[in-house]
Amino acid sequence: MALYILRRLLSVALVLVAVSILVFAVTSILPANVAYLILGQFADPAQVKILEAKLGLNDPIWQQYLRWAWAVVQGNLGESMLMNRPIAPLLFEAISRSLVLASVSFVLIAVIGIGLGVAAALRHGRPLDHGVSVGTYLGIAVPEFFWAIVVILVFASWLGWLPSSGYEPLATGFWIWLQHLVAPTITLVFAHLAHVSRLTRSSMIEVLQSPYVTAARAKGLPERIVVMRHALRNALLPTITVLALDFGRLMGGIVVIETVFAYPGLGRLIVFSIQNRDLPTLQASILVVAAIYAIANLLADLAYAWLNPRIRYDRSIA
Amino acid sequence: MLRIYDLSVRYRTASGEVEALTGISLAAPRGSTLALVGESGSGKSTVALAAMGLLPQEAYCPSGRIEFDGRDLMQMAPAERRALRGRRIGLVFQDPFSVLNPSLRIGDQVAEGLIQHRGATPAAAAERAVELLDEVGIRNPRAVAQAYPHELSGGMRQRALIAGALASEPDLLILDEPTTALDVTIEAQILELLETLRARRGLTMLFISHNLGVVRRIADRVAVMYAGQVFETGPTAEVLQAPLHPYAKGLIAAIPRLGLRRERLASIPGRLPDLRRLPQGCRFQARCPFAETACGMPQALTAVDDNTRREARCHAAASHASTPWPIEAASDPVERMQTGTAPVLEIDSLVRRFAIGRGRLRLDRGWPRFDKLSITAVDSVTLSVRPGEVLGLVGESGSGKTTIGRIALRLIEPDSGRILIDGTPIVGLSQSALEPMRRKAQIVFQNPDSSLNPRKTVLELIGRPIERFGLVPAGEIPARVRQLLDLVRLPAHYAYRYPHQMSGGEKQRIGIACALATEPRFIVCDEPVSALDVSVQAAIVNLLADLRDRLQVAYLLISHDIAVVAHLADRIAVMNQGRIVEIDETERITRSPSHSYTARLIAAVPRIDGVPGDAAH
Amino acid sequence: MTDRSPEPGQGNALRSAAVASPGAVGSVPDAPAPGATASAAFERAPRKPMSAQLKAGLLITGVIVLLGLLAPWISPHPWDTISIKTRFLPPSTTYWLGTDDYGRDVFSRLLMGTRLSLAMGISATLISLAIGVPIGLAAGYFRGRTDELLMRGADVLMAVPPIMLGLLVLAVTPPAIWKTAVAVGLVYVPPIARVTRSVTLSLATEDFIQAARARAEGPAWILFREILPNAWPALIVEASLRVTYAILLGSALSFLGLGAQPPSSDWGLMIAEARAFIDTAPWIALSPGIAMCLLVVGINLIGDGARERLDPRLKTRTAKG
Repeated sequence: MALYILRRLLSVALVLVAVSILVFAVTSILPANVAYLILGQFADPAQVKILEAKLGLNDPIWQQYLRWAWAVVQGNLGESMLMNRPIAPLLFEAISRSLVLASVSFVLIAVIGIGLGVAAALRHGRPLDHGVSVGTYLGIAVPEFFWAIVVILVFASWLGWLPSSGYEPLATGFWIWLQHLVAPTITLVFAHLAHVSRLTRSSMIEVLQSPYVTAARAKGLPERIVVMRHALRNALLPTITVLALDFGRLMGGIVVIETVFAYPGLGRLIVFSIQNRDLPTLQASILVVAAIYAIANLLADLAYAWLNPRIRYDRSIA
Repeated sequence: MLRIYDLSVRYRTASGEVEALTGISLAAPRGSTLALVGESGSGKSTVALAAMGLLPQEAYCPSGRIEFDGRDLMQMAPAERRALRGRRIGLVFQDPFSVLNPSLRIGDQVAEGLIQHRGATPAAAAERAVELLDEVGIRNPRAVAQAYPHELSGGMRQRALIAGALASEPDLLILDEPTTALDVTIEAQILELLETLRARRGLTMLFISHNLGVVRRIADRVAVMYAGQVFETGPTAEVLQAPLHPYAKGLIAAIPRLGLRRERLASIPGRLPDLRRLPQGCRFQARCPFAETACGMPQALTAVDDNTRREARCHAAASHASTPWPIEAASDPVERMQTGTAPVLEIDSLVRRFAIGRGRLRLDRGWPRFDKLSITAVDSVTLSVRPGEVLGLVGESGSGKTTIGRIALRLIEPDSGRILIDGTPIVGLSQSALEPMRRKAQIVFQNPDSSLNPRKTVLELIGRPIERFGLVPAGEIPARVRQLLDLVRLPAHYAYRYPHQMSGGEKQRIGIACALATEPRFIVCDEPVSALDVSVQAAIVNLLADLRDRLQVAYLLISHDIAVVAHLADRIAVMNQGRIVEIDETERITRSPSHSYTARLIAAVPRIDGVPGDAAH
Repeated sequence: MTDRSPEPGQGNALRSAAVASPGAVGSVPDAPAPGATASAAFERAPRKPMSAQLKAGLLITGVIVLLGLLAPWISPHPWDTISIKTRFLPPSTTYWLGTDDYGRDVFSRLLMGTRLSLAMGISATLISLAIGVPIGLAAGYFRGRTDELLMRGADVLMAVPPIMLGLLVLAVTPPAIWKTAVAVGLVYVPPIARVTRSVTLSLATEDFIQAARARAEGPAWILFREILPNAWPALIVEASLRVTYAILLGSALSFLGLGAQPPSSDWGLMIAEARAFIDTAPWIALSPGIAMCLLVVGINLIGDGARERLDPRLKTRTAKG
């Protein structure tokens, strides 16, 4: 088991290195000339030359990469072109705000999604199941930004319960901070609930039809025990994998949600940096996102390995 | 203990109602063992499901009564039935792996029944579980109780399942094909265990199997089922020695017997009737060589001998009592000729290992390295096959016999050793250089569902090898395919069928035809009949024998079923854990094997005639 | 009579075929296969009737596709004519879904936008299939180092959430809708490769592949004439679901300004432009959203309906996201 953890950590590190190369490559190689991209097509060539020198664009590409990578490892994520400030603290602040949003949403999605999925599977074929099935079917068809629009329409315009955008730091008051958090959270939850719920439901149904559940019933065990002891454990294993995948989608979701709700988190930072061609910030942000996602996957893998006896116990009794 | 009266079960399916059981009446007196035998589709498993009240939702019982210890199961409330299930009736399933919950420890799963039905505390139940594991012959029961299912071998899992079924001290034990997935030697041990348990605990057993040898060993009475009906019942020894119903006769005549001089096996032509549209009269009529007009009337289970309570569902049973099942002679028997003495296949010192994991981490000249754990699947094997000869390769799982078959064709690469096909060495050649060899050596696989590409017609399947090697001009391929179909005794119009439109036996014939298409010198037959029903097996075995004689093609016949191999092979090589322990003429091996493993293997095979292996010690 | 027993149609231990092992494995009965008759003139197995799900899906999707194809001819009003007088009109008999901030008919723009969404979905999926399927086939068949390399590559691409990967690619070049389609296509190469690989892995263990090797068939033949014909059904199902993801991702990118550009009537763009007026004229934003929802549901129904009809043996779990 310890070996498994070690191998996974190594693999995460390698993936991050590869992602950093990818990110750097895309932003440095693709555009014909980065300087022109930043300054615009009709910029003064002299200005362009200065910028090129400043960005170190005249060095071979691999040298640029190594310089950048070395800085990253030391914690220096570069300077934002747009705001002329170091990126790291900027990013850190944005991440912490996004993480609050993402974590709360994630917990809600997990709890409600799994709950609905299991409940629907247990009442397979009955009204609740049909309702959940139809609901989730529609749910996965709606794009996140549309959910956002609808939430704004209903909760902000019609009902007036929530502010339609913005953010207030915790310091200004718990209640008002919470208020600004609610709308984006609801939107994220609505957008991703369906997915988790569907997969939990189908995994649970599959487990309920498996031979060992039949055998448990054959032993005369009451249904409650059959479900709780036998079925749930095995149904939840694939759910963990799904939740890990969903965390990634959630992070993708915050890009759109934060833009719509003007919530100053990582997503909005990324969009801003794109709109303003702030490449260094973009590179750093995406790298950090990949790191967070990789860690989330690692945690999920570890949870899975710990819960799945086949991986956890690898002794062999002949 | 268990009595079933006139039980019928029907399933509602998308294509109509299927009648799985019709008017089944059985009795298993207290303390005895009743066996249900039949091939697939006979309905024997459905009886077990019905007795436990575990029929799926789409099934219903239009008639019948199931009495357990005098009480009608079908009239009970579900809760009562559930209580009965755990406490007094135990069920042992076929596939021990998928029936055990992979996330729970063995001990917990065994103890469950105790906690639920006998009200034991978890601690007391755990102790009892260890005792039970010991009783079923598991060594080191305490360690096993802490283990998870994936850590145990098949035999141990089955024992654990039996322990679990026994936990709540049941009176009746229902076993559905409990030893089918096990090796022969393990099977023998499990059967011994069941006999001991039955004696010690006074169990009543309902034993379901398709293996008549096993049934002979363990059951007092047997009921032969076909297409949802009981065709014959009676004491086991009598029914198997002198069957009354034509189907039973055919079934028994279709089984190759170890030690019996090789003759053609009986085969039952035709197929199971469509369970959605069953005939009015005898359901076996279409396939019965004794059929007459009176068979068109519904047949009743009538007593033939009141003393031993033998019954048969055939009005002609008594009159045909001593008539055996007719065995068709070969259509045009051919004398086997020796075509030269140079062997078609020669294997010399073949070795193959498989890596199964990592050992400890060591430092090897400064670099951290893992020890490679490997098993030696093939441990320096040497053998040869003469032209037109059949060499049988028998062994249990893990013996390496399948691996050898694959290596001989270089479908798996050997680690070392020489392979010569028709005198040409083939080790060390690139895959493309192997082309000429591939014509001469072909293979027939075990599983008919997997050996044919589902998206191709028979014409494409058989035609491709011909096309690939350019054996006939393109325009003549259909004619050649028709010839091959004829050779495997299938009608010509099958050329336009897809695999899913054919039965298992037919698909296996197509597989044989594909192998013959390249006009090979020898064919590796990898468990060619293991996945088929007994009656179909016989037909394929007969076919292989005929082809051997007519085409003078050599076989490397690989199987775990010694009786089948002994029927067809000239020589037999016995393998154990990668080594050949004995290789000799068939007669000598089956009569008086020299090696102890061979003796054990032959002794463990359950016999229909109840004669323990001649090969004693 | 029965108690809480397993679901209809599903096997349980007593009816399931045993795992591959010695001993007579779950014997294959010599029973007549469905549809096969004993007579000389046979037919292929009768097709199963289409489920309600499949029919509904085909209906919804078919209608939308048809409307989109015929859009230029059936639009009640021109989609791009600006008219100050008709701004912000609510839905009426003249303007079925109202007008937007430039006075253009929302319904007509919706119809034209259908073509853009469909084009996005289909072209992006075709790109990801063209690149992903060969990769998956190679990885699944050759295994070993090829597999390792290709799958590590896929892992790297999947380490970044899809929308961000798309943003990354589009950030460095002036936006245009065809570039968005290419970006979305590239983003979905890894999941397609993974699904293809897992289908290939399960098919590669089948005996008929070994039989092909025993016939000295080369890898190209085996991959394209033995494996691929059996893999198509699962791939088509996966592809149909990918189309929906591509439509959603493409419209999200347009929403963020990195896809279609004004005055295009791409649905994502329409919603983005309508955001400012959500209070006063909600119909401008709601219409494209509901349309997208309908289209995605329709395609999902087709995909799921198709999956039901597949040979269960060849079914695989599809990768999500």
